[in-house]
Amino acid sequence: MTDVRLESGVSVRRTSFVTVRRESCVSVRRASRVVAVALLGVLVSGHVGSPDVFFTGKAGQYDIRVTIRPPEVVPGIARVTVRAPAGVQSVSIRPVFWRAGSKGSPSADETRRLEGQSAQGGGTFEGSLWLMARGAYSVDVIVSGTQGTANVLVPVASVATGRLAMSPALGVVLAILGFLLFAGLVNIVYKGAGESLLAASDTLDPVRRRRARRVGAIAVPILALILVGGARWWDSVDRDYEQTMYRPSPLRLELRGSTLHVQASDTVWQPGSRPSALVADHGKLMHLFLIRSDDARAFAHLHPLPADSSPIPAFQTTLPRLPAGQYHVFGDIVHETGFERTLVGSLAISEPSTPSTPSRPSTPRAESREPRADPDDAWFVGDASRERTMKLADGSVMQLEVASADAIEAKAEETLRITVRETNGKPARLEKYLGMYAHGVVARLDGSVYVHLHPMGTVTQAAQDAFRARDRGDTTAAGRLILAHEQHAAPAPAAMPSDSSAAPSSIEFPYSFPRSGSYRLFVQVKRNGRVLTGAFAITVAEAR
Amino acid sequence: MESVVPRRTTPKYATRALVEEAPSRSVPFSWHAPTVVFGAVCVMIGVYWDISWHMSIGRDSFWTPAHLLIQAGGLIAGLTSGYVALRTTFGSDPRARDAGVTFWGFRAPLGAWVCIWGCLAMVTSAPFDNWWHDAYGLDVRIISPPHSVLALGIGAIGVGALLLSLAWQNRGGEHQRRAMWLLLVAGAMLLMDRWIMLTEYSSKNLQHGGAFYRLSMLAYPMAVVMMAKASKMKWAATITTGIFTAFVLILMWLIQILPATPKLGPIYQPITHMVGMAFPVLIIVPALGVDLVMQRVQLRPVFLAPILSAVFLALFIAVQWPFASFLMTESARNWFFNAENFVYWMSPSGVEWSRSFQETDGLGPHLANAWGTGALSAYLGLWFGHWMSKVRR
Repeated sequence: MTDVRLESGVSVRRTSFVTVRRESCVSVRRASRVVAVALLGVLVSGHVGSPDVFFTGKAGQYDIRVTIRPPEVVPGIARVTVRAPAGVQSVSIRPVFWRAGSKGSPSADETRRLEGQSAQGGGTFEGSLWLMARGAYSVDVIVSGTQGTANVLVPVASVATGRLAMSPALGVVLAILGFLLFAGLVNIVYKGAGESLLAASDTLDPVRRRRARRVGAIAVPILALILVGGARWWDSVDRDYEQTMYRPSPLRLELRGSTLHVQASDTVWQPGSRPSALVADHGKLMHLFLIRSDDARAFAHLHPLPADSSPIPAFQTTLPRLPAGQYHVFGDIVHETGFERTLVGSLAISEPSTPSTPSRPSTPRAESREPRADPDDAWFVGDASRERTMKLADGSVMQLEVASADAIEAKAEETLRITVRETNGKPARLEKYLGMYAHGVVARLDGSVYVHLHPMGTVTQAAQDAFRARDRGDTTAAGRLILAHEQHAAPAPAAMPSDSSAAPSSIEFPYSFPRSGSYRLFVQVKRNGRVLTGAFAITVAEAR
Repeated sequence: MESVVPRRTTPKYATRALVEEAPSRSVPFSWHAPTVVFGAVCVMIGVYWDISWHMSIGRDSFWTPAHLLIQAGGLIAGLTSGYVALRTTFGSDPRARDAGVTFWGFRAPLGAWVCIWGCLAMVTSAPFDNWWHDAYGLDVRIISPPHSVLALGIGAIGVGALLLSLAWQNRGGEHQRRAMWLLLVAGAMLLMDRWIMLTEYSSKNLQHGGAFYRLSMLAYPMAVVMMAKASKMKWAATITTGIFTAFVLILMWLIQILPATPKLGPIYQPITHMVGMAFPVLIIVPALGVDLVMQRVQLRPVFLAPILSAVFLALFIAVQWPFASFLMTESARNWFFNAENFVYWMSPSGVEWSRSFQETDGLGPHLANAWGTGALSAYLGLWFGHWMSKVRR
């Protein structure tokens, strides 16, 4: 771990596996005029190392799938792809900033329908829009077709996450032009002090020539100083930019006995000067995930409880008995602005005082009933399946299907389809766990990529609700979300009741792995009141 | 047999003498200076339009009319200057060669070289700025290194226009008056350039504060005094500032006619038409004072500059201070005075901020500083003006 001082002056502890590479970023910047194009800094807000936003859901009567590839710099252009069913004739998009709401958004731009689509409408629509400010945005996707016009808001965090180094070719071109400009300016000064003052018939006498040369010579260091000043200015802009690049805020973690104390340790990324309160997502103010960093053989999905009533409270929970080791810790929170972010930390767990059961499958907290813990906490200890099927704790079988028949490639849009079957092979009836039929977590083994998936994609319901509430005007005079106050005043509610009326056995997660490497996919479902976790080892190949 | 050598009608050396005696025919490429001044005017209109575009619409590309006008103005000045340089270097017109300076083996008037330099700087700024947007985001800060290179290029086009007009004016001749007017137009464009550079520090609610007067005294006296010194017109400073004021006002009134809606968000102001820049500062009054002083007081620059600064500052405060008070009133909230030219992203708190004077520590503590800054600025104006009055090529 390293200590890092952020722009607010708050000294925070940054875990080593979150490789922001500040020093290398600066050094590369200095050499940027001559090095290859490389994108630096891959960390994003709502998740870690997984910038793209995926949404599957309804816009009115239309089932659509939206992919947003946010810019790496702000202001910048977000690329939006919308897949729509037959009957959809046009799709328009516009950016909605949290503070201004839909009424403060520009008029929507129609997206371009890709060629070769069906005459009945539908297909893939592509467009782009500008994200001008940093903070919580949502993309308003307006769909028009045979069933009228409807819209849906897809939240996206607008933060600067990368910076482009300069290509050698551009560096050389600019260096040549810069040299020409410098030399030209010196010569202009020299000519201005001498030859330009001559009458038509005059020639430059030695005295005048010497004087002009003297003026030209004086101009050289002055212009050089201006040039150095410009370079220092550039350095300072780069430094400022680098400091304001988004990086996951650190979690302050402290384990006292079996009680884990959790604190978001800074307000650096808070919009404005005041802290923006948290809102509950699926009834919880924080979703905390622990993944053992050595081998990912242990996984826990916990919901620390707020220990105070401040806008961003301290949390605590009782840690389940997990095998000893170093753990990557990811805490998902949503602010009342609709800004989603993942806090990151690292936790060392020593040998438990009581023997753990390493092979014990996912266990709902209700079975162990420890103090200061949420009943919806669940964890899993065991090996991930290297096949596409895994036997769950209750004997049922979870099957993973991926749309692409061959190896999964980085940056390719995938549909991760999960099917649970009973021991007799019949489709199992799933129950809702935390308001969803399945929760997925994708993590790269080195901890550099982490994302919390739902069937609706990478977005959170809470962020969507926050934008809708603001558009309805559910805010106080000070601009605070009324919903947030209500949620915050009440203790975090338990899991939503199961809805067995349309219980599915298959769930789909839309996702695109950001880069190649070894990943784990943890999928949590609920059957017969028991949370079951499947774990899959996935190898992602380089994008072709 | 004795060969017959045709007798010269005039001695060889007489060519130059005749040229100087007949100045109406001694102006080679007489279209060049007006064309370059036209280019400079195009650039400044483009700059104004572009700023208004960013205030009203937001979203832009390389191909917006404002950008094209800026690039066109730069290209007009740069390419015509390049043409003049090639024709002068490789042509056989001795008048053209005599009106030029040698530059890396080529020959053209100094103003042409400055225009070519400015055009090159503008060209350089394009890929630099494009990379900058990709690296740090679109115009996170208006004053950035690539924008500074562009501003230098634009400034150079204005200086080039000034030098070409100057050389023509200083050489004299039948069309000297035309050159004098061109010079004043070019000077007005330079003044406008300075006014735009000070925009962020010149909000109406800052005009009772010391910083506004300090910065104004740094920027304006130099340009105004320089024009008064370099021009052969009697009321050069007043006319130059008059052209500047009229030009900016016409742009301000006209641009508000064009319909526009923001294409970027968040939007806090319901904009339906282009938003013009603020009402120009009233430097025409202190410029009149500068003209009067320079016509009546003959002193060395080091003594004259403090007097000019004092006169400039006193008259500037006398008119701008009450005018700023007026701009804060309801009576100024209309298209004519354009006091509430809010950009689309101006939040309600920003509106409140703009309606109350900032920097309320008073002007008193800043007066001496503003006067000293103005004296330095005026001295530089006298120095440059003196040099400019001697430029002949």
